[in-house]
Amino acid sequence: MSGAYDLIVLGAGPAGVGAAVTARSHGLSVLVVDENETTGGQVYRATPQAFATRADAPANPDKKEGAGQRQSLLASGAAVAFRHSVWQVSPGYRVDAVGQGGPVHWSAPAVIAATGTTERVVPFPGWTLPGVIGLAAATILLKSQQMLPGRRPVIAGCGPLLAAVAVAVLDGGGKPAAVLDLSGPGDWLAALPALASRPDLALRGLGWVVRLKAAGVPVHFRTGIAAVRETADGLAVTPCRVDADRRPLPDGAGQDIETDCVAVGHGLTPGTEITRLLRARHRFDAALGGWVAEHDADFRTSLPGLYVAGDGAGISGAAAAHLQGQLAGLAVARDLGRLGADAHETAAAPVRKRLAAAQRFGRAMARLMALRPAHAASVAPDTVVCRCEDVTRGEIDEAVAAGARDVNQLKAWTRCGMGPCQGRMCGETAASLVAEAVGSRGAAGLWTGRAPLRPVPMDLLTGDFTYADIPLPKAAPL
Amino acid sequence: MSAPMFDVAVVGGGVMGATTALMLARGGLRTVILDRGPLCREASGVNAGTLTLHMTRASLIPYAVRGHELWLSADQWLGRGVAAVSTEGLSLAFTPAEEEMLHARAAARREYGAPIEIVPASRARAVEPGLSDQVRLAAYCPIDGFASSYLTGRAYREALVEAGAVVREGAAVIGVDSGDGGFSLRIAGAEPVRARRLVLAGGVWLEEMLGWLGLRIPVKCLINQLVVTERLRPVMRTVLSVANGLLSLKQFANGTVLIGGGWQGIGDPKRGGVQTIPENLIGNTRLARWVIPALAETRVARIWLGLEAETADAMPMIGAVPGVPDAFVIGSVHSGYTSGPYMGRLLADLILGREPERPLFDPSRLLEPQAAPALT
Amino acid sequence: MSLRIGHTVDRPGAVTITVDGTPVSAHPGESVAAALFAAGRRRLRESPRAGAPRGMFCLMGACQECVVIVGGRRVPACQTPVSEGLAVTTGVPW
Ligand SMILES: Cc1cc2nc3c(=O)[nH]c(=O)nc-3n(C[C@H](O)[C@H](O)[C@H](O)COP(=O)(O)OP(=O)(O)OC[C@H]3O[C@@H](n4cnc5c(N)ncnc54)[C@H](O)[C@@H]3O)c2cc1C
Ligand SMILES: Cc1cc2nc3c(=O)[nH]c(=O)nc-3n(C[C@H](O)[C@H](O)[C@H](O)COP(=O)(O)OP(=O)(O)OC[C@H]3O[C@@H](n4cnc5c(N)ncnc54)[C@H](O)[C@@H]3O)c2cc1C
Ligand code: FES
Repeated sequence: MSGAYDLIVLGAGPAGVGAAVTARSHGLSVLVVDENETTGGQVYRATPQAFATRADAPANPDKKEGAGQRQSLLASGAAVAFRHSVWQVSPGYRVDAVGQGGPVHWSAPAVIAATGTTERVVPFPGWTLPGVIGLAAATILLKSQQMLPGRRPVIAGCGPLLAAVAVAVLDGGGKPAAVLDLSGPGDWLAALPALASRPDLALRGLGWVVRLKAAGVPVHFRTGIAAVRETADGLAVTPCRVDADRRPLPDGAGQDIETDCVAVGHGLTPGTEITRLLRARHRFDAALGGWVAEHDADFRTSLPGLYVAGDGAGISGAAAAHLQGQLAGLAVARDLGRLGADAHETAAAPVRKRLAAAQRFGRAMARLMALRPAHAASVAPDTVVCRCEDVTRGEIDEAVAAGARDVNQLKAWTRCGMGPCQGRMCGETAASLVAEAVGSRGAAGLWTGRAPLRPVPMDLLTGDFTYADIPLPKAAPL
Repeated sequence: MSAPMFDVAVVGGGVMGATTALMLARGGLRTVILDRGPLCREASGVNAGTLTLHMTRASLIPYAVRGHELWLSADQWLGRGVAAVSTEGLSLAFTPAEEEMLHARAAARREYGAPIEIVPASRARAVEPGLSDQVRLAAYCPIDGFASSYLTGRAYREALVEAGAVVREGAAVIGVDSGDGGFSLRIAGAEPVRARRLVLAGGVWLEEMLGWLGLRIPVKCLINQLVVTERLRPVMRTVLSVANGLLSLKQFANGTVLIGGGWQGIGDPKRGGVQTIPENLIGNTRLARWVIPALAETRVARIWLGLEAETADAMPMIGAVPGVPDAFVIGSVHSGYTSGPYMGRLLADLILGREPERPLFDPSRLLEPQAAPALT
Repeated sequence: MSLRIGHTVDRPGAVTITVDGTPVSAHPGESVAAALFAAGRRRLRESPRAGAPRGMFCLMGACQECVVIVGGRRVPACQTPVSEGLAVTTGVPW
């Protein structure tokens, strides 16, 4: 598979689908690439195609929305490459991916990066134990695999996914051992005015405390995890009360909670690997979840032909992501000369209006999840921060004390962020620790983007070949 | 009060500038070293770290041998090592034409003192059991090795501070003026820095830097690609290269394998390394897998590009800047990471008024004729 | 007690995969990571320096903690669907 298109959309979540369908409706040839087996991204994760939904399964608004988006993409006539991991995007643009059949590449004058988000987890002792998983991971288990993360999981962290997971565990027949929310009721109340912009979602969200209380699930506000350890038959979580900045209180440790799984997440952070790889301009905005590619109101980045949409452009929720995708799709149609300026304005105006409302809700949620520096600063010296390379907080502090001034220098000095996840797991905590020393996240910088975006198997990359198939350049000087 | 006058300012904090500055500071000069970024984050911090005689230009071998020794003893003279390891090295031939090349190149390097001998494939495989069975002939050198170049900046920074040098990271020099018995360096967004002597050590940016002094010496910029794999069981123990010089391959103690050899990407001194060329990525990784078939088991973890400088005759420029008293230049050294700690010493000796142990590389041979505007 | 939620979907009949030679029952369509998790095989690797046990973490293909070997190739278990007879080897070094 290879070929040329007007537009390549990377990611088939709500943003990617919105972009592709809109661009198709203006006559562009479009390819959508995603590593999953179908559309939906993280939020509308479909169950595996081999599973059959039961007729008597409870109704689920997300599932319905996801199915609608899937249908609209199919009907749009966009080409799709599912189960393909994009590992490189080069200027101009060329997209390299690997699928089951090996390496492929495509080209297009325009690319929309709609690759979503990664979850941030601020380390604590025991966070690397098997059985401790991300909160987002728990939603994927529940939505896609129709599997409980545990019969009695501890659900911890902050933001709306806490409630979503806890309720889904109840619905699935489990019972959370506890819900530990770093936010206090006051933080939720502060988000209320924005929540009013999406009463449907706000109700779904705010009803959760009642629902969990009724089911007898203990919910602890302003509480985090001090440590997790392995026990003879599972895990034990030591909870810890925190202050408004999410700093553990000195005498805040509570009674251990026995559990079979810990699902923990401290917010979402925009996936910027493609825009970083291409060296677009970025800026740091804690309220948007971290570093984002700079973009205009139509989601054009600083590089011609490169657009962003969805969580990658700043965490703002599924509804906003879809609308952002539509705006990016319209902008591409206009920039490629398929849509006149007036027609573009006419088409974009109502979408912008809906986006403003949707964003208010999404961004209020994002604020609940934003990383508090005091939280990152509370990581203990011997706790591993970089999972791939086993780099501890203490080693990071030592490098910073010795003069490491930005995250890339830290990486060279300690290997923090050098492993296969490319700093996706440790980046936020490491950057926050460097920022404490140099004054701001802006000064601490962001990881340089590098290919491959995902590790690429050597045998797939090199394929079957003989010596004659190696295009040897001319010999080096003697 | 006017700014302090340093005895010497070194512009560019790669291995060349950092070594020179360190030796000058230890030699008693009030030294400042300036880099627009952190120390050793360009070529000197992203290179393949091969400490080899197989790839070094033949006439630079005596320098490389000294550099090799210095890296291996870095914890003694530098204070902190760069994980340098000494091992054997093999250069391989897969075709009759490459066999010939191997013979010719080994002979040329032997003349300059490299203890390289030609060995049959069976001997090569005894040294390196994981080798491909396609090898026809090999050149064997007992002196080879590698370091982890990303550790270089930290080591030099601590040593420079310890030696009393002033380290100015994040200080981009944008021009040089002369005046009251010295140079005044213009710094972007900061006060000028004044010094009696000036050392330019700007890697691929040397052409621009020499331009500040009114000189024109073209410096070619190579965009070298490197590929590192994920950790893998031990599959090799030596440094491997091929007769034509287009591969360098080694496995670090942590199990990752680094694949280099000077395959080119796209970029320039202004933008840095911009883009890998997919054909070159595939070519380079195929060659590596051809040499060590077990690499098929692992995955490519990271690809990056680094900028390497080369003069018109591909030989270094190290010495006094022609026509500008008290100004010096160092750079464009082929396999310059290996010999860097030695090259910097030689230049420091010249500046400190000691006789360098080996000849330097007079930049005046590279001057392009032009109406040299006087230094303002 | 199974972690699989039963009242929402009908799964295809269980098949057998092997994990380090031991048979494990799983349903086609499930990811290898989820199937192993449900079977109680949570430990998939050891960390490189500390040798500490690790298992699946993000389920989105980002963390690479779940990498296993299938068909001689390293793959993230969370992105790899189960099929009859699939042979999985855990303990990928890195
Ligand atoms: C697990 C999870 C659950 C969430 N649940 C909710 C929720 O219930 N409600 C809500 O409002 N928000 C939720 N969020 C926030 C949610 O991410 C956004 O609201 C929404 O999914 C954003 O849509 P998107 O299109 O920007 O990105 P995504 O939905 O994340 O889609 C990005 C897509 O890009 C693909 N991709 C990424 N990198 C590559 C690559 N290199 N190669 C190929 N494909 C790639 C991914 O596979 C993914 O399908 C959730 C987030 C996560 C992570
Ligand atoms: C990818 C790659 C692989 C290589 N592999 C090997 C190998 O295996 N073995 C080997 O021996 N050699 C290798 N080399 C060569 C070796 O890396 C170089 O010869 C050596 O590092 C050059 O050092 P340098 O100090 O001259 O330049 P650099 O390290 O590039 O230093 C120049 C410095 O000048 C600074 N600078 C530039 N402009 C300004 C300004 N205006 N103001 C202030 N500072 C400025 C830069 O920021 C930079 O830090 C490789 C090179 C590359 C690129
Ligand atoms: S669990 Fe993170 S990549 Fe599979």
